[in-house]
Amino acid sequence: MEGNDPVSLTPDALSPVNQGSACPKGWEALAPLTAEDRGTAPLLKSPATGALEAVDWNTAATTFVERMKAIMDEHGPESVAFLGTGQIPTEELAFLGAFAKFGMGMVHGDGNTRQCMATAVRAYKESFGFDAPPYTYEDLELSDVLVFIGANPCIAHPIIWDRVSKNSRSPTIVVIDPRRTETAMAATQHIALTPKSDLVLFYILAKILIDKGWVNLPFVHRYCDGFEDFAAFVQDMDVEEAAGQCGLSAETVVGLARTIHLGRSVSFWWTMGVNQSHEGVRTAQAIINLALLTGNIGRPGTGANSITGQCNAMGSRLFSNTSSLFAGRSFTDANDRAEVAGILDIDEARIPRLNGWAYDQIVEGMRQKKIRALWIIATNPAHSWIQRTEFNELLGELDFLVVQDMFHSTETAQRADLFLPAAGWGEKEGTFINSERRIGAIRRVHRAPGQALSDFNIIRLLAEYWGCGEMFVQWKTPEDVFGILRRLSAGRPCDFSAISGYADLDEGGIQWPCTSKFVDTHRRLFEDRKFYRANGRAAFCFEKSRPAAEPVSTDYPLLLLSGRGSSSQWHTNTRTSKSPVLRTLFPEAAYIEIAKDDAERLGIKTGDLVTVSSRRGSVQVQAATSTHVVPGQVFMPMHYEATNRLTLAEFDPYSRQPSYKACAVAVRLGPEKG
Amino acid sequence: MSTGPRLVEDKPLAGLIGDLLQEQAQLSAVDRFSQWHDNDASPTAERYLERMPAHSPAAGEQYAFAVDLDACTGCKACVTGCHSLNGLDEDEVWRSVGLLQGGTAEDPYRQPITTACHHCLEPACLKGCPANAYEKSAATGIVHHLDDLCIGCRYCQLTCPYDVPRFNPEQGIVRKCDMCSDRLAQGVAPACVQACPTEAIRITLVKTDDVVADSQGQTFLPTAPAPYLTLPTTQYHTERVIPRNAVALDFHYLRPADAHPTLVIMLVLTQLGAGMFAVDWLVNLLGRGFAPGAALVALAAIGIGLVSSVLHLGKPRLAYRALLGLGHSWLSREVVALGAFGGMAFLYALMRDVPAAAEVLAYVPFPPLSWVAAATAFVGLVGVYTSIRVYQVTRRPAWVGPSTLLRFGFTTTGLGALTYAAVMSMSPAGDSDRALMVLLAVAGMSTVAKLGLELSVLTELRSRVERPVRRTARLLWGILRRLLLIRVALGVVGGVLLPVAAVWFWSSAASVLLVLAVCLGLAGEFIARHLFFVSASARRMPGSLE
Repeated sequence: MEGNDPVSLTPDALSPVNQGSACPKGWEALAPLTAEDRGTAPLLKSPATGALEAVDWNTAATTFVERMKAIMDEHGPESVAFLGTGQIPTEELAFLGAFAKFGMGMVHGDGNTRQCMATAVRAYKESFGFDAPPYTYEDLELSDVLVFIGANPCIAHPIIWDRVSKNSRSPTIVVIDPRRTETAMAATQHIALTPKSDLVLFYILAKILIDKGWVNLPFVHRYCDGFEDFAAFVQDMDVEEAAGQCGLSAETVVGLARTIHLGRSVSFWWTMGVNQSHEGVRTAQAIINLALLTGNIGRPGTGANSITGQCNAMGSRLFSNTSSLFAGRSFTDANDRAEVAGILDIDEARIPRLNGWAYDQIVEGMRQKKIRALWIIATNPAHSWIQRTEFNELLGELDFLVVQDMFHSTETAQRADLFLPAAGWGEKEGTFINSERRIGAIRRVHRAPGQALSDFNIIRLLAEYWGCGEMFVQWKTPEDVFGILRRLSAGRPCDFSAISGYADLDEGGIQWPCTSKFVDTHRRLFEDRKFYRANGRAAFCFEKSRPAAEPVSTDYPLLLLSGRGSSSQWHTNTRTSKSPVLRTLFPEAAYIEIAKDDAERLGIKTGDLVTVSSRRGSVQVQAATSTHVVPGQVFMPMHYEATNRLTLAEFDPYSRQPSYKACAVAVRLGPEKG
Repeated sequence: MSTGPRLVEDKPLAGLIGDLLQEQAQLSAVDRFSQWHDNDASPTAERYLERMPAHSPAAGEQYAFAVDLDACTGCKACVTGCHSLNGLDEDEVWRSVGLLQGGTAEDPYRQPITTACHHCLEPACLKGCPANAYEKSAATGIVHHLDDLCIGCRYCQLTCPYDVPRFNPEQGIVRKCDMCSDRLAQGVAPACVQACPTEAIRITLVKTDDVVADSQGQTFLPTAPAPYLTLPTTQYHTERVIPRNAVALDFHYLRPADAHPTLVIMLVLTQLGAGMFAVDWLVNLLGRGFAPGAALVALAAIGIGLVSSVLHLGKPRLAYRALLGLGHSWLSREVVALGAFGGMAFLYALMRDVPAAAEVLAYVPFPPLSWVAAATAFVGLVGVYTSIRVYQVTRRPAWVGPSTLLRFGFTTTGLGALTYAAVMSMSPAGDSDRALMVLLAVAGMSTVAKLGLELSVLTELRSRVERPVRRTARLLWGILRRLLLIRVALGVVGGVLLPVAAVWFWSSAASVLLVLAVCLGLAGEFIARHLFFVSASARRMPGSLE
């Protein structure tokens, strides 16, 4: 501290999560708050010049209400949608969801968590009966065998890797990833499979486990449904042939099955390599199936564990009121609607009876002119949405685009008709729920610049202007809303009704469920073998694998993988580019990693300018030859705006999550022609 | 169709906006956090104790960084932790993380390398510092940079093989890692040690004898500077076999080094001046008589050069401190020698070329003018020699051995002779024609020899191994090619063609041509010295993509 101003951050050694470590982004988390391009006043697009001009909050809120109402009056309530985030506290997400759907009467709204966690949500819901990641981070230290699938924690989750490195059992660490990532280098075994063949791999692993009698039958019979069907399904597979499909030998796969079998506590960890896939839900469930088959669940060091990316992905999943009603309820279930209406003391008729559209369906709605106005909060889809060139065109065709963000400079904010300046993480209060279901509080340590308001207060203001302030009289402060969320959670699997307020969260946060004041710091789910499906049993879910939409061809002979490039960059680089010291830690311009063999064939050396093209467009980037991508594949970090000009909008049919990591491209030395 | 209740116009909404803005300005938790942090410092510190030695260094020992390469994931938390806990400016970093890459497609190798100051046994920064702003602690072995003594000459950036000292333009000084010695003294782990999530960085005790022994093998890390230069103490451990083809990710990158324009001006002009005084003394010795005004021209060159050298400093006010390192620093010696040269040149020029001053000075019992001429020339050449040593001791492959000696030497003879000839041509006297011919021949031969020397480095392009000198050649024939060609053209025209033309058109236009020759020759030398700096390449610690 210097006077009243925070100058630097230090991680807390007593925190149960990071234990005193932070990644570069954490160390530099204050820097984005003082960036030059913070929004300091509402901005309204001038009809005369087309430029954004500063206005006061009264004008901004009035404009918001008048334009939105006019569009809804003319085109119906389904013509307006919102795109939220996993970046703001749960209280703000809940307020946003409640105001948009119950107050404004919107039907469609989704969050950027669709881009990262939707697959895991759907997979858990079907397999366990609730979106319930079962683990606690301590499990990373207690496993004998850790299997990382489509995950690169060394770079993407440095603190998770920190916990792995504290595992004192000299664990076997298996990394299943097409790239030889930093984590693959640090692992004891790297399974370099063909991209998007993971579902097949997990099915044949299941077959081998079943064939060899390596299944925990008592567990499966007592606690799971659908084993016989699943066993019959995988029985048809030919291990040799399927392994070949994965680019692996049958021995390798059998060896991996043996490793899983021999481990006393085996944990499976997945992230975006699985979630962002055309058959991600089934793949995640295939991982869950392996954990169920071997009884690796509900014990220390086990679990089928999805790691989230965003700070509050879990809060968004439970309380954003987008694809599911508050606390994992359903919009289509009359009882659920009645319960929520009762707790919130609102007219049940105000709760939509339909599940709203998913992100890609909202985009499709924009294409068909069904969506005429969009309210985007704390996310930057003009950069991050798959196949972004087309998305940007659609943004331009909207009648009214409202962007609410810390920065007026994001690709999305620059296209706004109305920009609302928001306070950042350290400038407001609220709670986050992390990957291991831990609820933690943030505090206000920094003054927001100019007229910027917390997202909470912006929504509160808009609700008053909309004229539905009375509906939210109980929603005055974030802590008030925390109380409402507690009541909404009561009796649900995510029950945290015993947490009385923010003060309880000061000592490192508390995991849900929390129905008693006296709970352990580290808790995992299903220790009682009771799952959340109606009959209390877990389910084996499976389906035949199908190929991805865009295989390589003669014109586009290379497969483009995307992912995190460095631990100093976050998603669209909106915040991480604000720290001068972080900027020194990552390449300034976009680059592509290309296998040495491919590079030599194309006459490309590290540092050369190359053109990368897909059927969607082409970009110029710097080349870096690498022994870490397999010939035939190339890798581009997602943080540069170039990457999503190339990607193909393909989605998992169940989770509607985009498949960012598989599209066909061509690479050529030199700048674009013409 | 319902879209919610209508906007109620008469609500006191303006009041709400004011309230919300006011609430936003309150800080709820600052005091609490800082108090909590102050009270709770001890458990935080204890957690990192196991990453530090149990006792202070005994005799023959010192502290060193120990890096477990197998644990390092390249997350760079060490860089940001250091930046944050040391309160560094904006984009200032004292630690960096690079990458080694190699192996085969089947068994690829990729290793992040975290690096900061190596707290060497023989720190080249300390040895080179003219202001004695470095200190190696006898008790801990930590190499401290004393910020308030630094004059910002940036010479340590040239002498340190590891690019450790970083220039901070706002403060006008360099700064560097001191192993968080304040924290260390209180038993608290250095920032990077605390920040490393995988405990890959520790502080350890090394025996100085072991460091010497470890440096014999001349391997520190692949493509990194050879350890015998400074005896770095950092211990890099790995259980993996580093493949022989492992190189830094940026190994093939061509990075022009800092240009230092003020030094370019200083070096070329002081060498021109030294050359003129040497010529002056010789011409006089051979009985040809002084060229009137030559001493003033030389003095002017030296004056501009010396002013430029002071402007080079980040803290020009503290320039006098550059004398402190006379015992060990060639830069100090250069400052002394060139300073003395400037003084002598001033005195001599007054005695020789300013009649009024000469009359006054005649009352002072000075030695005869010829003696002063000799002394000035001698001190000037000593100055050039110290300049040569300044760059030779940096041990940059492009600068060691005869390279700098010949370059600076030929600049001295070539420009000195040419400029002296130009001045001489303006007031022909006696048999100055022959002297002029000789001077122009010297200038021409110096130029040709120097151009040959400068271009000879291009033969390295044929080398199959990427040595630093080859990188110098690739830079010169790559992004610097146009500049190199201009330099050659200026040299040929200014140093050879115009003097030949001057001889051809003897008497009529000789002076004009020679003045032009001096201008072009001088421009050529400025470019050559610029290239000398920017194309100097040396082995460095592994870096990454930029």
